[in-house]
Amino acid sequence: MRRREFVSGVLGGAQAVRAASPLWCGCGMMPTQAPIGAEAFQGLGSKMRVTNMKVFGVTLDPKSDRPYVFVKLETNEGLVGWGEATLEGKAGAVMACINDFRDFILGADPIQVEHHWQSMYVHTFYRAGPVIGSAISGIDQALWDLRGKILGLPVYRMLGGPFDPRGVRGYYHARARNLEELRALRASAKEFGITCFKSGIPGYYEWIETHEKISRAVKWMETLREGLGPDIDIGVDFHAKTSPTVASILVKEVEPLNLLFIEEPCPPENVDAMARIARRSTTPIATGERLVASYGCQRLIELGVADILQVDINHVGGITALWKVAAMAEASGISIAPHACEGPIGAIATLHVDAAVPNFLVQEICSGVEPGFQEKVWQEWLGFPAMRMVDGRFPLPEKPGLGFELSEESLKKYPFRGTVPMARVFHEDGSVAAW
Amino acid sequence: MPEPTVLRRARLAAQAPAARTGKPSDVIREVTWRRVREPVSGRSYTVLQIVTGRGLVGYGECGPIDPRQAQAAAEAIRDEDPSAYEVIRTRLAALPGAHAAVNMALLDILGQRAGAPVYQLLGGPTRNKVRVLATLEGATEDELKRAAEGALRAGYKALSVPLPEVRAPNQGQAFVLAVRKRLEDLRAATGPGVDFVLDAAARLSPGDAASVAAALERFHLLWLDEPCPVLNLGALRKISDETVTPVGYGRAIHQAAQFQDLLREGLIDVLRPDIGLNGISPIRRMAAIAETYYVAVAPFHRGGPIGTAAAIHLAASLPHFFIQQIPLPVDAKDRAMRAALTSGSIEAPKDGFVALLTGPGLGIRVNEEALREYATT
Repeated sequence: MRRREFVSGVLGGAQAVRAASPLWCGCGMMPTQAPIGAEAFQGLGSKMRVTNMKVFGVTLDPKSDRPYVFVKLETNEGLVGWGEATLEGKAGAVMACINDFRDFILGADPIQVEHHWQSMYVHTFYRAGPVIGSAISGIDQALWDLRGKILGLPVYRMLGGPFDPRGVRGYYHARARNLEELRALRASAKEFGITCFKSGIPGYYEWIETHEKISRAVKWMETLREGLGPDIDIGVDFHAKTSPTVASILVKEVEPLNLLFIEEPCPPENVDAMARIARRSTTPIATGERLVASYGCQRLIELGVADILQVDINHVGGITALWKVAAMAEASGISIAPHACEGPIGAIATLHVDAAVPNFLVQEICSGVEPGFQEKVWQEWLGFPAMRMVDGRFPLPEKPGLGFELSEESLKKYPFRGTVPMARVFHEDGSVAAW
Repeated sequence: MPEPTVLRRARLAAQAPAARTGKPSDVIREVTWRRVREPVSGRSYTVLQIVTGRGLVGYGECGPIDPRQAQAAAEAIRDEDPSAYEVIRTRLAALPGAHAAVNMALLDILGQRAGAPVYQLLGGPTRNKVRVLATLEGATEDELKRAAEGALRAGYKALSVPLPEVRAPNQGQAFVLAVRKRLEDLRAATGPGVDFVLDAAARLSPGDAASVAAALERFHLLWLDEPCPVLNLGALRKISDETVTPVGYGRAIHQAAQFQDLLREGLIDVLRPDIGLNGISPIRRMAAIAETYYVAVAPFHRGGPIGTAAAIHLAASLPHFFIQQIPLPVDAKDRAMRAALTSGSIEAPKDGFVALLTGPGLGIRVNEEALREYATT
């Protein structure tokens, strides 16, 4: 469809409604105003317009709770932009939600990404939870990819980076079950220049816990330090399995280990409850992977709860929102160490923000020292070993936009096989547990 | 306790006419209160029996209450439909103890009417068994050690241990050492896999409570219970700011708002409302607040087996219940009485947990003969 036809098709209806409804209605049934790409910004943006939006579900492993959700924006100038909106356990919902934003994006000028971000967030009325946040994230990343291509710059250069041209410091997950395996991991880390690992704590936790469970968690963290050695940074992910009560005991007891951080010591809803943990221990607290928009981080920052924020570029609201969280955090002496446990597009998009903010600490990738099937597929798609570290850092892309080419054809090998729920786990008495 | 003059006599039937609910109303006809006492421990509790016009019989239990309050509560509920248990809760707000028993009995009747255990009425089961905590009786180290061994033999794996005698408002190091020794000796005697609550019974000052709690951090108590009286919140802050040993409060609390204050200020790690002071549904409302602070609920219990039954249903309806306290008399005569009241003991844990009660209502068969035998009045 040509742009002229498209605009008249979409906008004609809205204008008709406006003409026919002179009365203001307090219930919010307002006619659509100043639609995307409309005359309001004529001559002020770029000439590029989004002409089509495609949503892809991509299943690598039918058992995985996170089939990738990719967004592709096509334009009147033939350039395309890619973004990622993968939401664990809710692939179907987020794909539907991206499609619900179709009218916000068709006809849009990608250059004014902040404007479109505001429209998607504010005009949603409910602002955003994880489904809407992930949908916005995918579209936002694709708009940034196009912006970079319009301006001929990698995104991290548009954002004013890089702080370190060698790349972005990263960590892998410590895939080890005992002291011996941790020692082997240390040996590979030393060989490859890796400086940081993350692990979890064993089992599920009730909101009050026993001597045995608490001792086992402390023992595991001590084993991590013993096996990985004194000069490797260690993060430990509590994954919000613990209550403030249990987490307070654990983080205080492991103070002598000087962990880089412990992550999500309790669930995210009650920030004051998390503050109770933070003020009783010197162990740095990292959190934020479930939060949406800079608004979602505001209290964590204001109350001095978090030392490190870990918002996820696929949920928080894309590059636009991740950068804002980083800016807010910097003003309070807080670092960012973004979560990345989904597909390659979001992970690469994150690198661009990491490279361009002064308070970046370390970048996650849910991967081990040894590449596996997922890493092989990413290389097959993108033509380079995406999100694999060299000398402890993820190299930065050189090309404009997010810096990769991806063909629809290459995704066809892994067709969408439906939503897969996240794990459901239970305590000994059958009651619901968090993992 | 306020005088029962605040009771109102609004008729509930008008709010829920039988014709509209499609059920013939079956109202409360007889209300009988009886005080019973364990023969050796002297522990005493009040048993309430409610009989409806159609002959359904519900039981509840609370601590010892004033006969005038019992009578006032009886008058307030007679001729009302048991299904209006929340309306009745608001009416009996000034009589928390009596209302605890009323609430249990109303839910017992409703469950029988519906042919469902109380936990099903309340949205459960959320779990298939209930972790239990034995209250050890004893003053000396030897008595406690024997009581602990008895509790383990009875199937418990969590024990509530009293403080050593508190002789002065502020204690020195000898006291802290005595507390530690008591607990460490008990842990050595009971072996791995057994956990402890230290019951301070509100006898410490906030400062001493903080010292004791800090000294016990690495011992990993389940929690320090009722470290001091629930005073102003600033006084309690000393304890939770100076130590990460979990603290529980609540045996005297019957206002959800008081728990809300403790939660908001970050002063409490486990809610301990007394089942015999609050009943089932008021504790569910307190628990709803605690859930948003990720704080567990472990009802206090110093009464009899009907209260235990109510607590088991409550536990099976809550998402974040942790453990139910049960008094564990040392003397066999007391234990026999508790078993007799419910026609066979429901307080018989296996590997630290008791089974749910799956019959309609509270799912217990109260033995009227035993009630008469152990009655004090």
